[in-house]
Amino acid sequence: MQNPDAIVIGAGIVGAASALSLTNAGLRVLVIDRGAVSSGTTGAGEGNILVSDKDPGPELTLALHSRNLWFEMQEDVGDSFELEAKGGVVVARHDDAPLMKLATEQSQHGVDIEKCSQSRLHELEPYLHPDISSGVFYPQDAQCQPMLAAAHVIRTVVQRGGAFISQAKVTRIIVENGAVAGIETSRGIFKAPIIVNATGTWAGELAELAGSHLPIAPRKGFILVTEPTQKYIFHKVYDSDYVANVASSDADLQTSTVVEGTRSGTILIGASRERIGFDGSMNYEILRTLAQQATSLFPILRDVALLRAYRGFRPYAPDHLPVIGEDAKVKGLWHSAGHEGAGIGLAPGSAALITDAILGRESFMDGAPFSPQRFAAVRA
Amino acid sequence: MTQPISFTFNGSTISCEAGQSVAAALIATDQRTLRTTRFGNEPRSIFCGIGICFDCVVVIDGVANQRACLIEAEDGMKVESAP
Amino acid sequence: MIIVIGAGPAGLAAAEAAARNGTEVALLDSASRIGGQYWRHRTTVTGYRSDRGKKLFAKVLAADSITYISEATVWSAQREGELIRVNYLQGGSESSLIAEKVILATGAYDRALAFPGWDQPGSMTPGAAQSLLKGHGVIAGKRVIVAGTGPFLLPVATGLAEAGAEIVGLFDAHNPLRWALSPRALLENISKFAELLYYAKLLRKYLITPRYGRAVTNFNNGRATISRINSRFEITYQNSHTVDVDVVAVGWGFTPDVSLGGILGCSQRVDSDGAVIFTVDTNQESSQPHIWIAGEATGIGGADLSLIEGEIAGLAASGQKIARSLLQKRARKQRFADALKRSYPVRDGWRSWLAPETIICRCEEVTAQEIRDSVSELGAEDSRTSKLFTRAGMGLCQGRMCSRSVSEIVAGITRCAVSDNERIAASNRPTAAPISLGQLADGKNAL
Repeated sequence: MQNPDAIVIGAGIVGAASALSLTNAGLRVLVIDRGAVSSGTTGAGEGNILVSDKDPGPELTLALHSRNLWFEMQEDVGDSFELEAKGGVVVARHDDAPLMKLATEQSQHGVDIEKCSQSRLHELEPYLHPDISSGVFYPQDAQCQPMLAAAHVIRTVVQRGGAFISQAKVTRIIVENGAVAGIETSRGIFKAPIIVNATGTWAGELAELAGSHLPIAPRKGFILVTEPTQKYIFHKVYDSDYVANVASSDADLQTSTVVEGTRSGTILIGASRERIGFDGSMNYEILRTLAQQATSLFPILRDVALLRAYRGFRPYAPDHLPVIGEDAKVKGLWHSAGHEGAGIGLAPGSAALITDAILGRESFMDGAPFSPQRFAAVRA
Repeated sequence: MTQPISFTFNGSTISCEAGQSVAAALIATDQRTLRTTRFGNEPRSIFCGIGICFDCVVVIDGVANQRACLIEAEDGMKVESAP
Repeated sequence: MIIVIGAGPAGLAAAEAAARNGTEVALLDSASRIGGQYWRHRTTVTGYRSDRGKKLFAKVLAADSITYISEATVWSAQREGELIRVNYLQGGSESSLIAEKVILATGAYDRALAFPGWDQPGSMTPGAAQSLLKGHGVIAGKRVIVAGTGPFLLPVATGLAEAGAEIVGLFDAHNPLRWALSPRALLENISKFAELLYYAKLLRKYLITPRYGRAVTNFNNGRATISRINSRFEITYQNSHTVDVDVVAVGWGFTPDVSLGGILGCSQRVDSDGAVIFTVDTNQESSQPHIWIAGEATGIGGADLSLIEGEIAGLAASGQKIARSLLQKRARKQRFADALKRSYPVRDGWRSWLAPETIICRCEEVTAQEIRDSVSELGAEDSRTSKLFTRAGMGLCQGRMCSRSVSEIVAGITRCAVSDNERIAASNRPTAAPISLGQLADGKNAL
């Protein structure tokens, strides 16, 4: 594609959603990836589209809008990625006061909640451990198949006049007079005045190629996948430790319990968070911990077999907010990265923010809290 | 050594020799179809015979996804195609 | 102590050799009887030169320093400093063993190719027919076709015939004249002619006439279609002939399961037949110190080679001298194994047998068309991405049956040859066998 209006680097869900949003706004978009579609963190994702795990604040506002945009995207692209408003159930294993407090605050900021009695909890999830007596139901939580979503969205972008080039590694971002002019890749040079950095865990590396800086680092996580079983889990279920772990800056291993079923009948179990760089090696102790946690929540899972386990690297910024907006130094370089474990849920919302900002129009929320500018001050 | 064993398969009684696998016993009595697939409802039977392909999975005494080619038939076992 | 995993020819030979100087050996095997697949038996080993198996069994079971642990399924292993911990399931619970040295001899399984109807009841691998017969005393069916390629078809067909089955047809895609490509290997392994004569006599006795250049290309409700194929495996005559049978036992050689060695970080490469195997040195030691690998996992080569490799690994691991004659014998058998690969290659034309609705991934019921669409519509460029889009390879068998086929179908559309890295990635998995979440959980801090 010659002289696209914008180049999106990264064909994961964030890049795909950004490309679609820009395409629908009338731009000719070229999507580039050093691999194939969904070859980064999106390929290791569970498909979470959650509002339940976010404190009131900019991220929650983004999550709520983004969740709705997911359903609009399904209308637009087609029902091809198993999008389902299955709802989330957050249980409190011990003291439920923090969870209830959070739920109340969330409900004051647009989140639908239902505080559950023990009987209601077990009506929602009949296989939940009988001792679990307190929890909150979040009907807005949803799930999709993220690899399919990214692939179908990219396909739609191409159908609408865009282009996608895979196996193209960016070697240089061409900057002239403090503004982007294009990129050099292993598959050629492409000129454009707008570049969207949607490379997730590698967004910092890419920013360096433009002479800029983004403090995005990997946070490793494992997911267990079980054999296909009859339906035991009806919603996404997790314990309230999950929220604390996401917000934690601890380098040590953090684990919490996340369990959900899938259309194909397998059950996905998470969640672990570790800051050990890009070390992808297997860790059976973590798998055992995740198994222990999941079976303590759902004893029936004791007899269900582990089929496989895989890991991914969530991209996160030090303040645990995504990075969405124009680069502090380089004009025309826009970042949409660092979504930690919420990249899928936040993708279309981030795309809308970026598109509005690029086109200079008002958006559904003030994007300042996500701006990359917030790091420039710190660095200086 | 060849004492007879009997177990049920989807309610029907199957007799076999001690030491035979559930799959072998079923094949020997011409019960070729062991289950139907979960998406397409297509019939499946033993395929690799050595526990690699998981096509011969049946429910044994309530436990799902048991490989019939590996598990020795036991007297009184309840074997089913689906839970 | 040395842990030997697998009690087929390679593992038994390794254990026996290591025990000669009194070294402690723990021999783990997932079955209830030793012998692996090659010497599968109910009461006693039968078949060509079964005395070899019986003698080895006797030695292993009599050796004081060998502890044989049966029905032990190894699901993972990890290094702990200088030691290696092997985690296995036995009788419904998890145990583990730690030792300084491990010998992996986990063998291989039949390679299957998809064709319309290969997923129907009655369609199976030759290994399945063999296992039913040797392990359980059951013939797979009364009217049987044995097909595919490779010398394994001979013992399967004749074994079934001896047990009373009617071998309606024995079809090999290749002609044995291909052996002429490997004259040295033939001359060095004259003993193989005796084996050939043994089977030739049985074929004559049971009136089985092998036909070459043919394949089963369709199977539907008991009706098998046998087509004439050329050297590229393309069908040359449409609707060659059909015949009604109970069973089509079709196999295309073997492929090793490399999961366990992969978990331990042992280097792998792609063999000339496309199989992912381990690299080992002249002592059968892998790239990981104190982990030796013997048998099919170092290259498909049959029982003779497995026995020698196992013996070398056992001697090396226990610090015993390895006779030069043994190394020379291995070299001869390796040349024979290379000849096997040269004589019975699998050619790409099998893809032309597929209908759009032919199931490729049996576990997740993914069709050929869905895999092709994942490439042409969704931009998958390798089998890994195709897997993410279609779920092929994500089912219970974790790609053991289909991953090679998926790679080759994807390659057929992208027109890029399957890379070695892709083959290796598709053959490795983080667990070697299923383990329940309860067993997994209970093992925390307990082992």
